[in-house]
Amino acid sequence: MIAAAFARLRGWEGLLLALLVVIVVVNMAHSPYYLGVGNIINLFQLEIEKIIVALMMTLIIINGEIDLSVASVMGMSACVMAWSFRAGVPLPWAMLAAMASGVAAGLINGFWIAYVGLPSLAVTLAGLIGYRGVARILVQDRAIGDYPGWFNALGQQGLVGPLTLSIIIFLAMFAVLGLVLHGAALGRLVYVIGNNLQAARYSGVRVRRVKMTLFVASAVVAALAGLLYAARLGSVRGDMAQGFELDIITIVLLGGVSIFGGSGNLLGVGLSILVILNLRNGMGLADITGNTQTSVIGALLILSVLAPNIAQAIHIRWKGRET
Amino acid sequence: MTWLRRRIRPEQIREFSLLLLIVVAVLIFGSAIDNYYTSRTFNRIASSVMIITVVAVGQTLVVLTRNIDLSVGSIVGCTAYVAGVRIAADNGLPAIVPVLIAVALGAAMGAINGVLVAWGRVPSIIVTLGTLAIFRGLLVDYSGARTVTTDSLPPWLVDLPRLDLFTLAGLHVKVMVALALAIVIAFQLATSYLTFARQFYALGSNPDAADLIGLPTRRIVLTAFVLSGALSGLAGFMTLARFGNITVEAGRGLELEVVAAAVVGGVNIFGGSGTVIGAMLGGVMIGTLEQSLLRLQINEFWRDAVMGLLILLAVASDAVILKRLRALWARADLEMIARSAPRTGEAP
Amino acid sequence: MREYVLAGAALLAVGMLSPGAHAQVKATPGKAENMVLLPKFLGILPFDQAHRGAEEAAAELKNPAKLQYLGPTPENSVAGQIEIVTNATTQGVNAIMISNNSGDQIVPAAKKAQAAGIKVVTWDSPIPSAEGEDVFVAQVDFTQTGRVMADMALKIMGPEGGKFAILSASPDAANQNAWIAAMQEALKDPKYAKLQQVGIVYGNDQSELSYNQALALVDKYPGIKLIMAPTSVGIVAAAKAMQDEGLCNKVKVSGLGVPKEMLAYTKNGCAPEFALWSFVDLGYLTYYTAYMLATGEIKAEPGQSFTAGRLGNYTITKDPTRKAGLRVLMGPFSIYDASNVEAAAK
Repeated sequence: MIAAAFARLRGWEGLLLALLVVIVVVNMAHSPYYLGVGNIINLFQLEIEKIIVALMMTLIIINGEIDLSVASVMGMSACVMAWSFRAGVPLPWAMLAAMASGVAAGLINGFWIAYVGLPSLAVTLAGLIGYRGVARILVQDRAIGDYPGWFNALGQQGLVGPLTLSIIIFLAMFAVLGLVLHGAALGRLVYVIGNNLQAARYSGVRVRRVKMTLFVASAVVAALAGLLYAARLGSVRGDMAQGFELDIITIVLLGGVSIFGGSGNLLGVGLSILVILNLRNGMGLADITGNTQTSVIGALLILSVLAPNIAQAIHIRWKGRET
Repeated sequence: MTWLRRRIRPEQIREFSLLLLIVVAVLIFGSAIDNYYTSRTFNRIASSVMIITVVAVGQTLVVLTRNIDLSVGSIVGCTAYVAGVRIAADNGLPAIVPVLIAVALGAAMGAINGVLVAWGRVPSIIVTLGTLAIFRGLLVDYSGARTVTTDSLPPWLVDLPRLDLFTLAGLHVKVMVALALAIVIAFQLATSYLTFARQFYALGSNPDAADLIGLPTRRIVLTAFVLSGALSGLAGFMTLARFGNITVEAGRGLELEVVAAAVVGGVNIFGGSGTVIGAMLGGVMIGTLEQSLLRLQINEFWRDAVMGLLILLAVASDAVILKRLRALWARADLEMIARSAPRTGEAP
Repeated sequence: MREYVLAGAALLAVGMLSPGAHAQVKATPGKAENMVLLPKFLGILPFDQAHRGAEEAAAELKNPAKLQYLGPTPENSVAGQIEIVTNATTQGVNAIMISNNSGDQIVPAAKKAQAAGIKVVTWDSPIPSAEGEDVFVAQVDFTQTGRVMADMALKIMGPEGGKFAILSASPDAANQNAWIAAMQEALKDPKYAKLQQVGIVYGNDQSELSYNQALALVDKYPGIKLIMAPTSVGIVAAAKAMQDEGLCNKVKVSGLGVPKEMLAYTKNGCAPEFALWSFVDLGYLTYYTAYMLATGEIKAEPGQSFTAGRLGNYTITKDPTRKAGLRVLMGPFSIYDASNVEAAAK
């Protein structure tokens, strides 16, 4: 067990961990504000909705699929909530309606992918455009705000000590999904299907049901993240969360999850989240923003795969010379 | 039936079904929009699709090798801007210079992607997600927020989008549209008949087998990325000509449209199958939907939702039609086997 | 009777203004104030010009602390602006100058900044509810923007009037929405009775979509004589589209544009007239306002008057275009046509 954990640390996760340590040390040396409790909370809060969705996206990609519609579902859910609230529905019911819209989006995605057999890239690309459209229809050119104080407080203030509701949800989801993916039967099936779809089918795995479950779960989590985003910002517009899908997928891929499915784990994604968040925060505190920041993250993404490959190649050549 | 089956490959069935869908869409829009069947509508769709098509051809090559190129939007932006700055500085340059600058720069950027993927063994989605950000970042830094303005460009370049190659039955075929079409045809022919180009398919269908039989897999992948970059560069030049005004934002988000065109056009995102013509038809399908929806008297805010629904319908009905046609083909196969079986039995 | 009331109101107004009027505050140079200039996003000309103006003011005021020009990327504008405001709060800067692209979504972050003692000055685009904002430096009066656009439409279409359509930025763009609303209000004046607005479309500030939307307008509404585009991206794309289609004689383009980008189209008649203000001056005035608020030389209260270097005297007033909030009004508009566009483009 310990040996296995050790072996893992020498692999991808080890690399991410080393990277994280370097980033943390540099940040500490560079900014006196970095280790403040307020800053640590901010560091999570500023990207919290993306990282919540990234956890579920991990399962989808390990399963060999992709969900490009998540950001649009986030927007749609927030807009359904805002529109119902503006129409006079009490906020708790409006939030429920928003979650229902998430379930509906998940069912639609899942139906076409799992039961009709269309590629998830195509279906969720249509969803990316279509669900954003629903958000636009509902909210149009307005910005809908003025929610009750408790709603804004949920998104903006600490619930347990300095920990906000969103951070608690993230931690809980990380634990639950970790158990599901690495301890439960469903988790094994996610890997099996991602590794070899045909073999899974022939060995009697209910592929459709697993895929349906994953896509509904993904959309529901996205809908929840949309509500949390609305609560954090206190106001809803039609363009909420637009373009988040690329950031979310970047986090998952840096976590060592293969885009072709079948490999990767939640620990890696957890470390990738810490790496990206700390890096962004450090750069923000060093007044590095905009395209420079995205370029650095892009370069990191490439280098983190390239560097070990080069090291390995050198290692092999070195060995070859010795013998 | 047999005659048909012998002459037509499964890939062509897909293209045929997509063509059918485009015709259906055009008929539906034609009945809903006044003055739809005019050369103007043709022009609108053709000009709006031409840039995406050129990029989609390159994307198809990359996707065939089981890779993806998400950096195309940034390459288009960089090449449009750099070519624009160069020609703006010296209006007397021959026309070929900005084209060459754009294509060469695009090819170089594609080569960076290709080397990282083929020799660095980094998954292409990671490489190109990275270079998507890096290329754009370099452009923003390099430009210092300056804009290439129409006024600084030579007249021939500004007038290029208006230039007709020929007029056929009232349809004005623009030079740039014809160029895009020529590229599609050239690459379609090459990928169908040239041995080297067939290797894209071989590699994508089974990378391990391709390696085993000694195909130069790395060189093939690099070639695909270089071509994708070069074609994006050409698209960058076309963007410069079409819009005249180039900010550092040019081409942003194009990657999604291009991937959408390829996916709707039946290019399998996991490699090995799909055609250049298919990708073009995918682009035409999306362009037709987009341009026609703009003209419908529907609320501005409904457009995205309708667009998403239509793309889903297109992909779904394409799958259904394809399934039916395949079944038809399979039945014809069975019949032929059944008919030929006794004869083989009688043979000595 | 009516005149009497008006005179009374005028007196009252003067009375309100007078405490500031006799105390025209001048800035004390050389104080170290850490200030952040935050545009909607990086990489386009107008914001860069504002940055230049702010640097000019910073040099005049000999602020030893370096001006930080920080901005998000366009596709991540809302989340990025919130991130930058939050990090600036953590760092404890003295003033943040925001061209707000996030509507009221910036409010929680801006309020936290204010709670930490940071002066929050908006420029170019305000916080709609004015919560979390000390003062808004307005480039022009938003009501006047509506009138200027209506006047340009009338001038281009002539006394016989006709139909025109609007090409806006995104549906969420607060400035454009406010300007369009102001124009629609202005059009109620009988002077503009013959001008008929037939539709609004959105080009999302992307060249491609704006270009296609402009062409679709011509198809959708045959006979329109003008496309009014209150966005610098949309107006150029529309002008190029009309030029490419050879429609410049029938459909003119007008709105808000950058002279350098519009030069070709104004000279060839596709866009005979358009308007804008100086972004350099806007950045300059914003810096002065924020600096003096940060040093405490002026307070964010109506009636405070100050001198902003080469631009002269300004007074903080209630913002009449929003329900709440204060503003400093820069103005005026510059109207560009073939006679002056070349000089402005230099």
